Amino acid sequence: MQSKNTALKDHSRDLSISRGTVDIPFLLLTLLLLSIGVIMVLSASYASAYYDTKETGGNATYYFSRQLVFALMGVAAMLIASRLPMTFYRKFSFWVLAAAIVLLLAVLVVGTESNGAKRWILIAGISVQPSEIAKIGVILYFSTMICRYKNYMGTFKYGVLPFVIILAVIVGLLFLEPHLSASIIIIAIGAIMMFIGGARLFWFVGGAIGVTGLFVVAVTVLQYSSDRISAWRDPFADTGDTGYQIVQSLYAIGSGGLFGLGLGQSRQKYLYLPEEHNDFIFSIICEELGLIGAALILILFALLIIRGYWIALHTRDRYSFLVCTGITSLMAMQVILNVAVCTNLIPCTGISLPLFSYGGTALLMQLAELGIILSISRDIPIKRAAKKRKQEDL
Amino acid sequence: MSDKKLKTASPNTPNAMMLRRTLFLLIVCGIVAFAVLGIRLFKLQIIDHDFYETRAIEQQVRQTTVTAARGTIYDTNMKILAMSASVDDVYISPAEIKNNKEDPELIAQGLSEILDVDYDDILAKTAKTKSWYQTVARKVEPEVSEKVREFKNKYDLKGVKLEESSKRYYPYSRLASHVIGFVGSENIGWSGVEDYYNSTLTGVNGRVVRAKNAAGTDMLFTSFEDYYDAENGKDVALTIDSTIQYYMEKHLEQAVRDYAVVNGAAAIAMDVNTGGILGMASLGNFDLNNYQIVCDDAKRIIDAEQDEEKKKELLNQELFKQWRNKAISDTYEPGSTFKIVTLAMALNEGSVKTTDSFYCGGTTDVPGRDKPVKCWKAAGHGSQTLTQALQHSCNVAFVKIGMSLGAEKFYEYCEAFGLFNGSNDPDARLSGQTGIDLKGESGSLWWSKKTFCDVNNKSSLAAASFGQTFNITPLQLVSAVSACTNGGYLMKPYVVKEIFDPDGVTSTKTEPTVVRQVISEETSKTVCEMLEKVVGDKDGTGKNAYVAGYRIGGKTGTSEKVAQDAAGGAKEYIVSFIGVAPIDDPKIALLVLLDTPSNPRIFPSGGQMGAPTVGKMFTDILPYMGYEPQYTEEEKATVDKSVPDVKGVEVNEALSKIQQGGFTSRVIGTGATVTAQIPAANSVVAAGSQIIVYCGAEPSGGMETMPDLTDMTYSLARQHLGAYALYIRAAGPITNPESVVVISQNVAPGTQVEHGKVVEVTVVDNRDKGIY
Repeated sequence: MQSKNTALKDHSRDLSISRGTVDIPFLLLTLLLLSIGVIMVLSASYASAYYDTKETGGNATYYFSRQLVFALMGVAAMLIASRLPMTFYRKFSFWVLAAAIVLLLAVLVVGTESNGAKRWILIAGISVQPSEIAKIGVILYFSTMICRYKNYMGTFKYGVLPFVIILAVIVGLLFLEPHLSASIIIIAIGAIMMFIGGARLFWFVGGAIGVTGLFVVAVTVLQYSSDRISAWRDPFADTGDTGYQIVQSLYAIGSGGLFGLGLGQSRQKYLYLPEEHNDFIFSIICEELGLIGAALILILFALLIIRGYWIALHTRDRYSFLVCTGITSLMAMQVILNVAVCTNLIPCTGISLPLFSYGGTALLMQLAELGIILSISRDIPIKRAAKKRKQEDL
Repeated sequence: MSDKKLKTASPNTPNAMMLRRTLFLLIVCGIVAFAVLGIRLFKLQIIDHDFYETRAIEQQVRQTTVTAARGTIYDTNMKILAMSASVDDVYISPAEIKNNKEDPELIAQGLSEILDVDYDDILAKTAKTKSWYQTVARKVEPEVSEKVREFKNKYDLKGVKLEESSKRYYPYSRLASHVIGFVGSENIGWSGVEDYYNSTLTGVNGRVVRAKNAAGTDMLFTSFEDYYDAENGKDVALTIDSTIQYYMEKHLEQAVRDYAVVNGAAAIAMDVNTGGILGMASLGNFDLNNYQIVCDDAKRIIDAEQDEEKKKELLNQELFKQWRNKAISDTYEPGSTFKIVTLAMALNEGSVKTTDSFYCGGTTDVPGRDKPVKCWKAAGHGSQTLTQALQHSCNVAFVKIGMSLGAEKFYEYCEAFGLFNGSNDPDARLSGQTGIDLKGESGSLWWSKKTFCDVNNKSSLAAASFGQTFNITPLQLVSAVSACTNGGYLMKPYVVKEIFDPDGVTSTKTEPTVVRQVISEETSKTVCEMLEKVVGDKDGTGKNAYVAGYRIGGKTGTSEKVAQDAAGGAKEYIVSFIGVAPIDDPKIALLVLLDTPSNPRIFPSGGQMGAPTVGKMFTDILPYMGYEPQYTEEEKATVDKSVPDVKGVEVNEALSKIQQGGFTSRVIGTGATVTAQIPAANSVVAAGSQIIVYCGAEPSGGMETMPDLTDMTYSLARQHLGAYALYIRAAGPITNPESVVVISQNVAPGTQVEHGKVVEVTVVDNRDKGIY
């Protein structure tokens, strides 16, 4: 940490001719959540890693050490992202989205199949979810489009149609994988972009109806999703099969109580709760750290999100504003939906918890995205002035 | 601040609407949503905490029961009647078989061979891959489970498991099955001592509570483990003597066969001075080790039934029938055996004296009764002394004795003898138990005090005087008769004499409980003297119970089964005999009860069937208890004797030895010394039998066809067998060899037997036929 900060300062001194320093509260919140997240991966995963003889070879720290490496790489990626100017992102935004769509097509052909879905693709030996790229692609390119159509955002032709077409293409491709949770997030993030971009509220009513209809069709077509709905309504109806995962999650959360069983003391992680180190890591947090620990982590997330929006509200550049709001909203959505799934507020879908859930490329992407916010934060004039004063005082 | 921003806004800065909408997002996504999540967590973690925690712990914890060793049951001489041994339950974990990729067919094959369980059954169980526990075999013997262990280790099968369990063994299998009782699958006693003393024998099971993972093995790095020690059960020693019990069962079974007893039989031997039960048999009995297997006859009936439902019903019926301890669970009308009690109370009260005489003309009128009471002997017994009235088992005399006592007194005495518990309500039907420490004791059935003591209607009193129209358990009769003969003390019957603490050092002995003194010592003595006349005198109705060399008292009983009679069927009887020995200093009271004998060749009465059975039991039991026979000169001539060993002895000396032994002899061959003898030395045969002595010659080794001896008198049968070089001995007392007739023989007619074979026959004095 110490050396990183020093490195950061050194860099900022080099490039501080035109840009200020990154937003320190946002950076610290990110690093704090990341640190807690990596530790929780260790705690949550060591039992399953120990018992798993195929993937981990019985190495209890297998998931942890990999997550740690990706976290360090992610921090590096974040710092690099924070260095790049917003003009760079704007320039390449189309290509990011285009690449995402190409990868979404490719994944249908050469993707790795697991549990009847093709969501992963191997690129240079690293498996990547094209849907993750699609998310940032949508944010970056929609922002570009909104800036371009700034005077016509109230119209259907420019303010709605192009966005909906792009979303339809992406969601259509995701449907073929299939990947319901990514579809939901991308539709939501697309809608949020349009919302802050200035599309008329009238269209959102229509959009909500359309999306709901689409969702109903998806549920009726994909049988496993309707199982999830019934498991959500009454998880105890079939604790052995469809309700198993959510019931185990509720056991974990509920038995945590106010103070929790203590760090490392989870019992539900002993093969009871599936996906305990990725999608359901929050349940283990609740069990080990109790309501106090879980609430603290939620507060940290809330502060990160509020700070993200705060940065957005303080940018002078419309493109930066749109990207910052988009990325912050994406983070917010993932955190909220993940915790909602763990606590059975909504039906079970595979949404990971940013900075916590095990998964190398996803973590890398998230940190890079947060790096973009840091990059944006450097252009805030008021902040720069305050920082400079402070530095001069020192 | 936002106003200032708006003013300085350039076309490239976000406009007001954008900022407004972002602020909206900030509130929704940054505050409201998190508040909702926080509330949800509060609900789950605080409000519903207990609900989830309980369920979570339920699945996370594994309780292993450490079964407390069940106590051993000993007989009075510390012979083991029931014991527990460690065995194994074999089960498989289909989930682990699947996870470890073990071969289900190999497992099914191996286990089915070792455990003799169906291959397809095991294979079907291995297919239930979600299950962690499928039982393959329960209570597997150590030598078999060792093979399972070898099989498991050989192929390194994690899915095959053994779990320690315990199994109850009954070394004597059928012996005293109703008294001992058996233990069901959950280590709970179901009948007899096993049931009554269940908590004493069981002890307290221990538990080990361990945290487990979802795979069922111990949780890693968790030291959560709780032990609750097991407390072993206590051992108990019974008053039952397995040897006495064996003799009782042996002769009772023989009686059931000989007299074709249809409805089961019971026998109780009680130490008259303590109330300790020396033996208690109920037939049909069953193998305690296989208590769910019914006897062959019942099985045949069940197998013949086609309908599955009825089959099940029949099986249950038969099982409950065989588990029923007739000696304490069935009530009956004791009939004439009860005359002992009537006599004792009248003598004690002084309403009759030994010098009184009673006239029996065959009937007597009773106030309140339409028809006069009939004596079993229609012609009447004429004038008789009190002793003779008992010897004759005269109903008319006993009605008079009862009348002399009066209903009130009779009633008080019956209550004092423990036949029912009194009540303040004169209209209440009464009932009572002895309170023996066995499960399944039934209560008696008695009239209400008002009915019995009705001044205008003496019919209840009259009938009760000779033991009819009320129901008591056989055990109640035995304890009442014990009180009549032991000096007057009603003792509480019991079967457990000592309970040993698990430490093996201390124990609790059962002290005999005197309920109350009912009659005086003198009365008791008089009763004993009179009872001896029933058995020991040639005029006594109980003479078939006589055992040469012993002084025995007793009383016959034959009661008509009223219910059967009322139903219009053939008359059915319960015949019984209660004997007390030695009658000069009573030690043991022995009741035999045969329910519905159906052998048409023998008159169904206590004297014809009950008495000889008790006699045979005493013949074995009294010498075992250390009582030496004291023969009269007359008896010495007829009693069965042991054949002397004369092989290698000089002829004349041998012949005199044989003569001294009470036998006659026939010499074959001309040698100076005896080279062989028939029958073999030390065989016990009837006195006066002819011993064949070989001098130089050799026995022919010939075979004979066993003749049918049925209905021959004992002496005729002896002669008859002698002609075949076969020998006879009686399986019971011989009162008069010329008048007793053979009713069964232990070698079936037509069997090929060697010369010198000793045939044991059962005889009965068939002269007096009557319901007494």
